[in-house]
Amino acid sequence: MAEIAGAFATPHMPGSPGQARENPQSETAQLFGAVRSHIAEVDPDVLVVFDTDHFATFFYSNMPTFAVGVAGETAGPGTDDWPGLFCYYPEIPLHEELGRHVHASGINSGFDLSQTQEFEIDHSIVVPLHFLNDEGGKMKRPIVPLWVNGIAPPLPLAKRCYALGGMVREAIASWPSNLRVGIVASGAISGDIGGPKAIDGQPFAWPDESWVVNVVNRMRNGEIDELLNEATADRLRAAGNVSGEMLNWIALLGAVGGRKPRFLEPQLKGGNAYGAWRWD
Amino acid sequence: MSVYGINKVCYLAQMDLNFRERLKRDPEAALVGFPLTHDERRAFLEWDMASLYKAGAHTFLLSRLPRFESMGMTRADYIRSMRSTLTEEERRELEAKGQR
Repeated sequence: MAEIAGAFATPHMPGSPGQARENPQSETAQLFGAVRSHIAEVDPDVLVVFDTDHFATFFYSNMPTFAVGVAGETAGPGTDDWPGLFCYYPEIPLHEELGRHVHASGINSGFDLSQTQEFEIDHSIVVPLHFLNDEGGKMKRPIVPLWVNGIAPPLPLAKRCYALGGMVREAIASWPSNLRVGIVASGAISGDIGGPKAIDGQPFAWPDESWVVNVVNRMRNGEIDELLNEATADRLRAAGNVSGEMLNWIALLGAVGGRKPRFLEPQLKGGNAYGAWRWD
Repeated sequence: MSVYGINKVCYLAQMDLNFRERLKRDPEAALVGFPLTHDERRAFLEWDMASLYKAGAHTFLLSRLPRFESMGMTRADYIRSMRSTLTEEERRELEAKGQR
């Protein structure tokens, strides 16, 4: 009886909270604000967040391809400190039962998810939540984190991430009581951090703008098969070492059944995009 | 070669605040006990990020080192070393975009 009420996607640059506080008119603040307006109008009860952790919740000692958080609460971003990332949330409520249900539904439908029952989260979840889910310094809605390994190759196939989203949609449909679920996807479309092409004084390189334009056009046109075929491991690697974060967007597309977005704006200089999928 | 050891140093530089501080102030002592070769240890201490990159370390993890001033290294030191791995063509492309 539960349903997906809408889906929302943003990047998660760690400096954005500080940038938006200092300059609310900045393009980044305005784009996050636009997605926040959409989520406020849809007003879901709970958020399922497709995210790529950046070696904080997980490391090579234990690196799941897909994992779901099954716990009552979490906190973050802990020791993941960056300039401009001023917001630490000591209590981030989680929807433990929905997390358990998604985990079991995945296993029972052939999706062998990992689970974690004790964890903290890094900027990759905190930044989107700060913009989309903060009310008076606290989290408005509980969340269920669902991690997709988009950073430590080998990455999952795009079509597998799309199927992951479909599994989540079916899991939500089989939830036994009324619940309006919002999907959130976190991540860049193209980004390279720490590589030899990093810009002077910055950790990041220029993004692959042509790839961002292509991905945004595919999403706007609902050209899902084309996008899944193009988002190969080689293409993602060429677009930068965190470009696998766009697999979270692919999972979102699977969750909304390939619908077209109502709002979708690229931010080419950052390799980013901001989107909202609604049908209300 | 022990890429896992290189990555783990970078991982702990973020996660473990005591280690972060020791890696900044007394890097030689901080690196004792990690599964690193002699050359990998030297590369950390001499800010030779290019060698660690070429060994296969994850660049996202390596980029934590200048963020936390590990081994006393600045971001400019980091970028200088990493850029030494670029091909001549890649270097020209960067220069065309105004990079040194």
